Amino acid sequence: MTTQPLPDTRKQPAAPTQGRGQFGSFIAFSRGRPGFLFGLVIVAITIFLACFGAIVAPCDPEHAIPEAGLLPPSPVHLLGTDVVGMDIFSRVISAPRIDLTIALVSTLIAFVCGVFLGVISGYFASGRGIGRVGSETIMRGADIVQAFPIFIFALALVCFRGPSTANVISALAFLNIPYFLRVTRGAVFQVRERPFVEAARCAGNTERGIAFTHVMPNALGPALANISPSIGFAILLTAGLSFVGAGVPKPTPEWGSMISIGAPNMMTGQWWSALFPGLALGVTILGYALVGDGILEFMDPTRRR
Amino acid sequence: MRFLRYAARRFLFLIPQLFVVSVIVFFLVRLLPGDPAYLMAGQFATKDQIDQIRTTMGLDKPLYEQYALYVQHVLRGDFGMSWRSSHPVIDDIKQRFPATMELVLLTGCISVVLGIPIGVYTAVARKGVADRGLFIYGMLAGSIPDFWLGLILILIFFAFLGWLPGPIGQLDPSMEIPPRITGMIALDALLSGQWAVFQSAVAHLVLPVATLTLVYSTLIIKNTRTTVEEMLKSDFVEYGRALGLSSLTLLRYALRNALPPVVTVVGILFWFLLGAAVLVETVFAWGGLGQYAVESVVSSDYAPVQAFVLLAAVFTTVVFLLVDLAYFAIDPRIKT
Repeated sequence: MTTQPLPDTRKQPAAPTQGRGQFGSFIAFSRGRPGFLFGLVIVAITIFLACFGAIVAPCDPEHAIPEAGLLPPSPVHLLGTDVVGMDIFSRVISAPRIDLTIALVSTLIAFVCGVFLGVISGYFASGRGIGRVGSETIMRGADIVQAFPIFIFALALVCFRGPSTANVISALAFLNIPYFLRVTRGAVFQVRERPFVEAARCAGNTERGIAFTHVMPNALGPALANISPSIGFAILLTAGLSFVGAGVPKPTPEWGSMISIGAPNMMTGQWWSALFPGLALGVTILGYALVGDGILEFMDPTRRR
Repeated sequence: MRFLRYAARRFLFLIPQLFVVSVIVFFLVRLLPGDPAYLMAGQFATKDQIDQIRTTMGLDKPLYEQYALYVQHVLRGDFGMSWRSSHPVIDDIKQRFPATMELVLLTGCISVVLGIPIGVYTAVARKGVADRGLFIYGMLAGSIPDFWLGLILILIFFAFLGWLPGPIGQLDPSMEIPPRITGMIALDALLSGQWAVFQSAVAHLVLPVATLTLVYSTLIIKNTRTTVEEMLKSDFVEYGRALGLSSLTLLRYALRNALPPVVTVVGILFWFLLGAAVLVETVFAWGGLGQYAVESVVSSDYAPVQAFVLLAAVFTTVVFLLVDLAYFAIDPRIKT
């Protein structure tokens, strides 16, 4: 008797409707959301300008020609010149380098520290012993830091540590930690109730091991979504500090300090030297905020409008 | 009774909170490299003045004694001297504090009075022009720098249209400052019946308050809207609708329940406004605490900065405490 091969009862592989994968569904997500696309474009432009802005600028952003002061926008000076004759267009596109550097570095530091502290304070929030004490201390510490209005604290930190880029970065990083901390802590509260955490516990992992190897990667979502708006906010704070003279020193092109240079001229009607940097600021922060909103929506389908 | 217990607990917590805040502020000056006495005394100080400050601060004593001295001085109202103005810092603060409060309180009140109804309206009248408009306005308001918006308003309403006075402070220089009752110029002018001065003061108030309100009222509007929307979707409202209660009655119930989070947001609004006041005062040369702090920072006059940071933190801590008490008074269900 010949043995016939058994009928192939394996299911056919699914038709490639699922074949898009992560990236494909991201594209589909963006397609219907002009705000998110706009934000992505802005973020891409600022990154490009941060890398190449000073190179593609038509004029030297720090070269002052006093005789050419306060010229209105023209084909030569696309956005006009400010009171000491520096070309505004060149300065506007050279500013992202320092603004974005400060914002990116400070946000990353705040993210790393905030998530780490958030996991500890979230995972060990209940229970006894040193974990609980640590968790409570961290939360009270965050409360104290947030008792100071953020701009005032940033101003004080820069004042008392001396005005320099590194100090601005550390001040902003320090002040943004509580946001990442709270957001991660909330996520950790939810993740630690899940069955796989209990399974990990049964398998013999230490609590610390579970907290960082199992819970933390799953609690990163809200913190990641917060990165983009935090970058925008850090740019705003840097601009504010530079505007009052406590941030980036004067000749370096920075949107906030450009606005402060152009402010006296606003009152006499020469609007271009303070208007364009502010416009650039607003558009940039809007872009980063929209990207952050989009990422949040993407990760949590229940929020989709 | 529960309220009194809750209030007593919160007030008890206030003391360690203020303690930690004061420790942080105390250490701020010591962050700088160099001799704190020399830094506090300023560039034009004589050796005698520096020595005197050294004794007052107790710099030769151990750190905890220095802190004790600092707290003693603060509780007596002695925040040191501003070498720029040659006045005790406390006098400078007392003179400028009402100007800042004028801006903060006015903006807060207008934001609440306008913001809550707008928030309620957009929550009730869903999907429509108001909804989209509010969304766009919220996104814009959160992105535009407040100091830049102030300059734009000055450009439009002063430089181009000439409708409002320029950013030269609280009053026309030709006007006399009214007798000081509260320290807020507009209010004092009103209280002493100086009509022309009052008009000038109000004219000068319009742009800074408008700047702050345009940027920060969105906090109240968005939060009111979200909260009321949630309330309108809640079970008890659905039940009331099933019972046949009128929409207006349902709205009243929803609002009553939406009040506590909105009260919290009002507290947060004041937190934002304190920081924003610093920038807006600089733009409008307002002569308040914010501008004073900025000038002190830029000229390395450290005593006023230290005092300002301490006062700002104490102010916000107290505001948050009051907000939490109000929250508990309205909604005792929260866990104590």
